[in-house]
Formats: sequence, C-alpha cells, structure tokens
Amino acid sequence: MKTVTIRHNSAESHVTGQSVFVNDMEISSSQLVGRVVYSPLAHGIITQLDYSEALNMPDVAAILSAKDIPGHNQMGPVVKDEPCLAWPETMFIGQAILLIAAETMDAAIRAEKMIRIQIEPLEATLSLHSAIEKELLIAPPAFIRSGDAESAINLAPYTFDGILETGSQEHWYLETQSALAVPGEGKEMMVFASSQNPSETQTIVAEVLGIPKHLVDVEVKRLGGAFGGKETQANHVAAWASLLAQATGKPVKMHLFRDDDQLMTGKRHRFLSKYRIGFDKTGLILAYIVELNSDAGATTDLSLAILERAMLHAENAYFIPNISITGKAYRTNLPPNTAFRGFGGPQGMAVIENAIDRIARFLEMDPAMVRKRNFYGFERNRVTPYGKEITNNRLHVIFERLTESSEYFQRRVEIQGFNNKHKYQKRGIALTPVKFGISFTTAFLNQAGALVHIFNDGSVQVNHGGTEMGQGLHSKMIGVTADALGISPDRVRVTPTSTSKVPNTSATAASSGSDLNGMAIKHAAETLKHRLIPIAVQLLVSMGCKEAKAENLIFERNLIFDKNFPDFSIRFEQMAETAWKNQISLSSTGFYKTPNLLFDRKTGKGNPFYYYAYGMAVSEVELDVLTGAYTLLRTDILHDVGDSLNEDIDIGQIEGAFIQGVGWCTREEIKWNEKGFLLTHSPDTYKIPTINDIPVDFRVSLLRDFPNEGTIRKSKAVGEPPFMLAFSVWLAIKDAISAVRQHRVEPAFTLPATPEFVLLSMEALKNE
Amino acid sequence: MSKTRQNILFLLNNRLTEIDFSKPESPGPTTTVLNYLRTHARLKGVKEGCAEGDCGACTVVTATASENKLVYQTVDSCLLFLPMIHGKQLLTVEHLAHDGRLHPVQQTLIDHHGSQCGYCTPGFVMSLFGIYKEPSALPIEEIKQSLTGNLCRCTGYRSILDAAKTIADFNGKPDQFSVSETNTISQLNKIMADSQPILIETADQVYLKPFLLQDALKLRNLHPDALITSGATDLALRQTKKHEKLTKILDLSAVSSLNYWLEEENTITIGAGIDLETLRKRSRPHLPALSRMLDVFGSKQIRNKATLGGNIASASPIGDTLPLLMACEAGVKVQSADAERVIPINELFKGYRKTDLKADEIITAVIFPKPLAQQLIRAYKISKRDQMDISTLSVAFSLRLVDGLVDKLNIVYGGMAATAQKATSLESALIGKPWNEEHVKQATAGINDAFSPLSDVRASAEFRIQAAKNLLLRFFYDTQNEGQ
Repeated sequence: MKTVTIRHNSAESHVTGQSVFVNDMEISSSQLVGRVVYSPLAHGIITQLDYSEALNMPDVAAILSAKDIPGHNQMGPVVKDEPCLAWPETMFIGQAILLIAAETMDAAIRAEKMIRIQIEPLEATLSLHSAIEKELLIAPPAFIRSGDAESAINLAPYTFDGILETGSQEHWYLETQSALAVPGEGKEMMVFASSQNPSETQTIVAEVLGIPKHLVDVEVKRLGGAFGGKETQANHVAAWASLLAQATGKPVKMHLFRDDDQLMTGKRHRFLSKYRIGFDKTGLILAYIVELNSDAGATTDLSLAILERAMLHAENAYFIPNISITGKAYRTNLPPNTAFRGFGGPQGMAVIENAIDRIARFLEMDPAMVRKRNFYGFERNRVTPYGKEITNNRLHVIFERLTESSEYFQRRVEIQGFNNKHKYQKRGIALTPVKFGISFTTAFLNQAGALVHIFNDGSVQVNHGGTEMGQGLHSKMIGVTADALGISPDRVRVTPTSTSKVPNTSATAASSGSDLNGMAIKHAAETLKHRLIPIAVQLLVSMGCKEAKAENLIFERNLIFDKNFPDFSIRFEQMAETAWKNQISLSSTGFYKTPNLLFDRKTGKGNPFYYYAYGMAVSEVELDVLTGAYTLLRTDILHDVGDSLNEDIDIGQIEGAFIQGVGWCTREEIKWNEKGFLLTHSPDTYKIPTINDIPVDFRVSLLRDFPNEGTIRKSKAVGEPPFMLAFSVWLAIKDAISAVRQHRVEPAFTLPATPEFVLLSMEALKNE
Repeated sequence: MSKTRQNILFLLNNRLTEIDFSKPESPGPTTTVLNYLRTHARLKGVKEGCAEGDCGACTVVTATASENKLVYQTVDSCLLFLPMIHGKQLLTVEHLAHDGRLHPVQQTLIDHHGSQCGYCTPGFVMSLFGIYKEPSALPIEEIKQSLTGNLCRCTGYRSILDAAKTIADFNGKPDQFSVSETNTISQLNKIMADSQPILIETADQVYLKPFLLQDALKLRNLHPDALITSGATDLALRQTKKHEKLTKILDLSAVSSLNYWLEEENTITIGAGIDLETLRKRSRPHLPALSRMLDVFGSKQIRNKATLGGNIASASPIGDTLPLLMACEAGVKVQSADAERVIPINELFKGYRKTDLKADEIITAVIFPKPLAQQLIRAYKISKRDQMDISTLSVAFSLRLVDGLVDKLNIVYGGMAATAQKATSLESALIGKPWNEEHVKQATAGINDAFSPLSDVRASAEFRIQAAKNLLLRFFYDTQNEGQ
C-alpha cells in the first residue's frame, strides 16, 4: 500500500486569507443582515410582542414572529419539540422570538432596541439537581444490563458508592453560527450554510418554509470549526436566514456575535452520575451499577442518542461481568444541549475512570495496574455489556508500548521522590485508556453517497456527503480518489458539499466522515474503472500490446498498463478522452452502508459499532499547593488509527482533540446565574486552552502495524476518540492533589478540576 | 490651531490611503479597523472571532516609523479605531505573499500542518509575521508570549508552535518589506510631519486626536466630557460588545511625549502612554516585579496597545498593575492645561472605577521610587488560565527587613474589594516582628476580617480568601528561597 502525503487541501488559501467562509460572502448589493431577538427569560409566556415602531425604522426590511412562519414552526432534528420561533412559551434565555432583517447590523440593533416584549414568568428549572428532584425526564429511562450487578455488588469484598458531576462545555468554534440564504425563482431557496449536516439543514429549511425539499439547495464549502456544535444547531441560523430571505425576497446573511452564539446555542451535556462499584483485593472489578443523568436543556435535540453513547461507553476499556447501566435525560430551562466531540462517551467514561482511580488509592495499587487488570481480554472476558464481542483488542499492546516509551513506572517512582522533597509543589501522573465505538448508534445513519466526475482532460471532481470543518476530510478523500484511480492528488478537486449533488446524507459526525464517504468514493471510482477498462485494453492493444488483459490492468501514476507488459502504457487523460469519444459515461455515483449494524434499544443489546478505536495517554502535572495552579509537564499518547489515511492530518486530529479534552477537564467552566442567564458568555470569562496550556513536552505517536480490515484503506476513524485521552491530565491532577496526604485519603474531585476546585480540595485534605 | 483636519492618512499595505471623515460616505471615526477592512476595503482575510481582543482572529500588523526603522506590532483590529492607524502602515494577510510566492511565515505554517479549519489562521499568520519581524530571534518563552493572544480550537497548537520556532530562526532574513523599508519610512514620516490635531466631527460623534501634549491638555480643557483613550483595549468593548455609541473621544495614542522612560537617582518615571509590551521589556532589569506581572497581562496584541495610564485610569478593582503600583507607593503625575500635580497612588482611587482625577486632568506619568537594596517586591496573580485571563485576585508585596525584623511592609490585594486595597491590618500585625513562618501564618488569619470578597463568575469568596492567605505564605517562602 503506497501512502500519499497530502497537505490540507485548503492550507494555501487559509494562510493567504483567501478561504471563503459564509460571513465573507456577498451575493449582491441588496443583501441584508439578519438578527435574532431572543428571550431574556428562562421560562414564561409571551403576553405582548410590540415591534411596530421598530418595523418603521429606516433600513429595516422585515421583522418576523412565529405567526409569520409559512411552514411548520419546528426545528427539532429528531423529536419535534423545538419551535423555530418561540410562541407563546419561552423555554430558555437565548431562545429566538423575533427575526429582524435590515440593511446593516447597526440598523438591526437600533430596531431591536425599540422592540417591546412582555413575558409572564413561569417557574424555571435551572439545575440538573432540581430537574432530577422534579423528575423532569424527557424520555423513559434506558437500560443496558449484563450479569447480575445487584447480587454481585452485595457479594463483593469491597464496594464504593459515589457521585461524579461532569461539567458542560462550550464548543467555541472560531467561526460563530452563520448562514446566507438566497431566494431564487418562485419558492426556490439556496442556502450557504456552515453546517455539519447539509441534508438536515435542507429538511429544516424546507419544513419552516413549507416547501418540498427539491426547492431547497444547501451548500457547504467549509466550516470554521464545528466539533458537533453545528450538527443540528447550524440548522437554526439557516432556517432563520431563509425565513427572512423568503419574506424580503432578498439574500439574508446571519452571523451571530460571539456572545449571542454562546448564550443561544447548546453545549456539551453536563452529567450527574451515581455509581456503586464492587471489587476484590487484587483490583478486579466484580460489579458496577451506574446511573447517568444528563441535562438535556429545554428540548430533546440529540440528547437521547448522546445519552445512549454515554451508556455504551460506561465501561470504557474494561470487562465488567456484572453491570447495570441506567440512562436518564432531564429537561431544564437552558439552551438545548447538543453534540460535542465524543457525543456522551466522555461523560460515560469519566465515571468509571474516576472510580478505578479510587479503587487503586484504596488498595494502594498503581492505578495503571488496576486498569490493566480489568482490560478486555482476548479469549475470555471479551463481551461488552450490550453483548458485542470485542475482536482485534489493541489495549494490551498499546499499554505495553506506551508504558515503555513514556517510562511510566520509572517516572512514578521519581514523582514520589519529588513529592517527598517538596512541600508546596506536588506532581501527579496518570495513564488512561480509551476504547471508542465507531458508527452512528442509530444504525440507518451509517450510509454515504459520492459523485465522481472524470473530465475528458483527465482531471477529476469529487463530491461526497461529508463536510470539511478543518478535520482534513476533503484532503483524505482526495487521497482516496487519487489512490482508487491511480492518479496524482493534484488532479482531484473536492467540490463544496451540496444537497443537489449527493442527497439524503448523514451528518459529518460520529468520527465517521472518512469511513463512510471514503468507501462511497471508492465504489464510485470502481464503477468508473470498470467502464474504462475495456477502453484501456483497446488502446493498449492498438499500440501493440496485443496480450493486454482487463484483469491485469494497473492504474498507477496517471498511467494504465498491463502488469505483465509495463513497457506499454497509456496516460489517464488519453483514456478519458477516448472514453468520452466512445460515448462512455465518465460520471458515477457511489454508495456505502456499514454492514451488520443493529442496536435494540429495548433490550440494550446488539452490535452498535463496526469496530473500536483505541488509544492511551500518560500525563504528568505539577501543582502549586498554595494556589491550585497547575502545569502540564508532559503527555505521551499512543493512538490507534489502523493504517493511517494521512498521518499528518491524523496527528493533528489527535493533538487537537486531546487539547480540547484538556480544556473540558481543567479550565472550561460554564456558569449560569440564578435566573438561568449564562455568565460565561464570552472568552473574557470562558477560557479555552491557549498555546501556553499544552504539555511542555508533548509526544504523540500512532500505533504501527495494526491495519483495520474492512475499512477504507484499513484505516480507523480519529475525530473523537483522542478527546478522552485528556482523562490522563484530569487524573494526574487528582494524583497530585492526593499527594498532599501521601495518597492515603480520597480527595474531593470533579470535572472540570479548575485551579479553584483543586486548591479547595487540597485545603480540605490538609484539614481532614 | 489653523484649519481643522478631519482626515487620516495611512498605508494600507503599500497603498497610501486617505479617509476623510467629513464626507458622508465615510465610515464613522470609531469604526474598528476590522470592520473597515472587511466592509470598506473588502479585505476579508481578517476575521472576527470574538470582538473583544481575546481570540486574535482579527490580528493585523502595524508598522510605525521610529528613528529610521520600522517597528512592527501585532494588534487586535477589532479594538482599534480607524484614527489610531494614522501615520502607520497597516499590513494584512492578503499582502504577505509576494511575486506569486508565499511569505516564509505562510509556507512554514503549511509545512507544519498548522492550519485546520482556517478561521484563526490569518490571525496566526500575522502573529507569526510579527515574530519574523522582531529585532532579534525570540526564545521559546517569548514565542509563546507572541501567540497566547491567538486562540485555535482545532490544532492543539503543537504544530503552530513548531512552525513559530522555525520562523523565529528566520529572524533578520530580508523580505519584500525590508526591501521597501526606506520608502515606507519616508512616506510615513511625511504623514507624521503635520502635528496639527485631527479633530473629527460627524453627525453623531466627535473624535479628537492631538499629537502634542499641550494640544491634548487644551482639548481636555475644552472637552471635559470626552472619553480619554489610548489603546482602547477596554473602551472599545463598550462599542463592540454593548453596542453603545461612543459620542466623544480624546485619543492620546499619538502624543509621543507621553511615551518615555526616565531614570533618575531615586525614581523611575514612566510616561503614561508607553505601551505595556515595551514597558514589560524595559522594566525587566529595573522593576522585575512589574515586568513579570506584565508577562501575564493580556496578550501581546493587547499589550502592544494598552498603556499604564489607561490601566490606572480605568480604576478597575483588579487592574493587574494597580496592587503593585500601590505596594511600591508610586506617584501618579497628572496635568491640566495650567497645572500639574502628583497624586500618591494610594489616594487616587475613590471607589469602583472612580478616581480623584479632575475633569480637565490627564494622567501623564507614573513615578516609581527605585527599589532599595534590601527591599523585596513581588506581585502574584491568580487566574483560571495562566495567560490571557483577568485576575481572580492579585496581590503585591513590598517588604523591607532590618536585622530580620519587618521594618516596612505594604500588602495590596486586587480582586478582593471594590478597588485594589491595602491590607493595613495584616501589615501592622507583622511590622516590628521577626519575619518567620509562625508570624506570617498567624497574620494570614487576619484576611478573614480584612476582606469580604464577592463570589462571582471568576471564583467563590471562599477561594479568594484561601488564596489570599496562601499568597502571603507564598511570598514568605519565596523570600526564604524555600518555596520549593
């Protein structure tokens, strides 16, 4: 297998400022700007909407409320419980009530200041605790069970119970939500969106406009970051812009201000998880009962699928014979929480990782050894709680290689020495694994389409259902296309994702972009090759290669030749031109569905994943005992991507996901006030990692020599799994806190472990 | 003053550009450079990520002629009002590639795979260009300092940092800008030769931009209601975030006589208009505690514009430098058209964001007493994130020991009350006592009585009290070299 090193296909336009994002687009001089007027109250009934004065202001083109929506006032992606514009009930601060279209943003803001909205307040539920108390479930609880956890816990030599809260997280894509809607002839609507799911954007736009989907075209050139935040919630801004465009007959662009984006959009679900765990003196886990409670926010969005993935990752990399997993999602009066890299996986895993850390402290064992003791096995101990057998387990090889390359055991000894010598600096280290299931757990979504055109000059255009949001999908797809057709990557261009080229696509999500679209492209390319091979044979024969045979043809380096007669070859473009003149179609679609997936939500059993991606990290931190400040000294990562489709891009994904995870585990803290108003609504108070927050010594490697059979070029998905490697930092911090009392006392711990929390946890230990 | 000037002149990349604000089609004077570039100049490489100077997606570079050299500075264009680039060259990402070839900083970033979604990339490219244009190759810590003001949510930064290290090594290599430097300087000098104040008056805004201190003081006298600004790193937020109309502004950024450093026998006088990045470097050997505090003050883009005068005048309860200035018993020199006085900084703050300044006065300098040989001065800052974060609390100490006894001690906390505040009771508990752990620990208990801090979005009162105590201990251990 030859590997083609391809840089990010937009790299040059990115560094020169030529890359076009939605907010950079100007369709015509009549283009308007759109603005959302949102609810200032977490829960209430709108009693008065007065915008007549605002509507009469100069440069204001339209103001729309719920009654002006020609189609359905709905934009819920799965469950139709999310109005496009609130009326009469408002369910969270930031929920859209009115839309303004104006000549300029200044005019829109002036108009907004003239609008009077009166809302009769209703009781609001603003914390997960109170939602649990009030039993505000958005759907019946879900269960996954295996063995008999209750009995096994009762029989276990040791048991713990505990509660872990994990915090929310703001996506903080650099490009805030944006869309440009351009009305066409009749009821046609063209939407330039920054959406991970153009097909669903098309659906929602069609539904709110009350028109069939064939009148709506959605095009996505690129997204300025997404991370799940534009999987469903990019639909909103597209729907709003389309309503304004239809009402005014003019193009309308909407680009949210940062603070509005943070206030209005959903985030990673915070969870409150209760667990009981039973184990023996060797650290072997005998039983685990966990209840995962998530804060869905005001509407369903993707909360149930996210909860399901949390449940499917509750055991992470560990075989637990008796396990009972319960999942509950609760309604609160906060913005609907949504997809975010890991999609519930991190919230599910955090609980078991923290519990294992606790077991190790209690048994005075190295936590890494307790982990290893419980890893899924090869012959035995290989069935997951949902009944899927683990094959191609990479946990043990990664553990061996990483503990060696990171000198984990030696450093643990050194850290002990350091901590003995230093009263006011403490170091901690942790190794944590991730085993992440790849596939949409809603099985039918595991499908993709592609469209490949060969032009008669030998250049190639590819279109597929995936969107490019920085992850390098298009660059990988260029590689796949070039490889499949035996041409150089510079002959391949990926055109903007478009609902009119590839219809009915799934979101670019669940780390599945390359797996699904790569296979679809490969199938399209194979169809084309199949059509071209007779032409190629004819050409070879006519140039004297009388023995050329279809089954022996090789497509390589822009040439086609018979492997037995490599001296005779034809150029790819020559073949394309000949095929065209012979009236052969040079365009083909390709389609792929992941085989044999099924998950039965009623029984909690099935085969929800095509395969697993594995990885492990070792991180070391140093704490200032007097301030709670910490420094990430070193991280070593060994991650499994099968045979990488593009090593540089994969390493970029691993590093980026890991640092995003570090942000979630450490400093990214979301706070609301007692009225449900988001206090951390700007980067002034919401702190994502800077260049200063990355490990001083950062070593990332790919697991070599373990190809993944049955996927595109034997690769594995990479987008989400490395996010959870950040638990190594989180638990290294806990290890350092615990050093304050020589690891004899279990410290208070939570996620995120902010410096504030860390200091107070250490003070509590000191005083215990 | 003869006829009033209502126009500004600058080089937009290499093109001499004039904006005459008296023309109705012109942008308003407080239009940010970001909005000007994107909307008027149609240069859309520059991006808005936050509109508050936190993310750096809007980073551009300004070149200023100084002593026959060009000084390149990275700045957040979202916080920069148009008149602030008068007499400067404004460089944007579109202009770096030359003769069909990428600039070395662009090529290096690509080679290191330092760009994913691309939205932050133009800002990073400009910060990297700033590194390339530094007078000397930056060490790693300074490379990070140059990039903390640029947020990236995709890459995890390692690739960008590697690119930056390579670029730092290119330092001094000529590029198209060095080739045309002489020409650029002469164009800029020509613009700056005219020192008549720029006085812009539009239908709803007045913008006053003097070049000479005497003009600034006269304008202050005539316009006591004008908002004074220099870097606008705080003021601009009222426009970009709260959508306020700023009706009258007196912009001191071009008053070059406010930009100085004067060392005398017992004092160091720092011009109120000196930018904090210059001050950070300048103060390293002489006032290391100040310099180190500035290491964690904003980002390079912010420090390149923000001034010491601005930090004092904003009278923030936190105001990173304020506790230190108070602990050092600095004096604040203020001037009006016909008088000047020095206010001890401990008497300057009158409440939350209130000062003792009169309506016609301008802060012109800060006078630091030179630290004595046996004087220990330290400042500490606690924030959620080490860099680019506002203090949760900060504290500065100034201690003089005589024969092991505390002879003089100033302790000033920020973030613990409505203004930065001296912890008088703690000081008196320690003065005259031996400087040892026992006494210091005893003294920390006094924090509970001395302060009742707020719980707010940054931290709880409980944390603030605990950290305030611990920082006194930290200072003690640092003075004992036992902090390890």
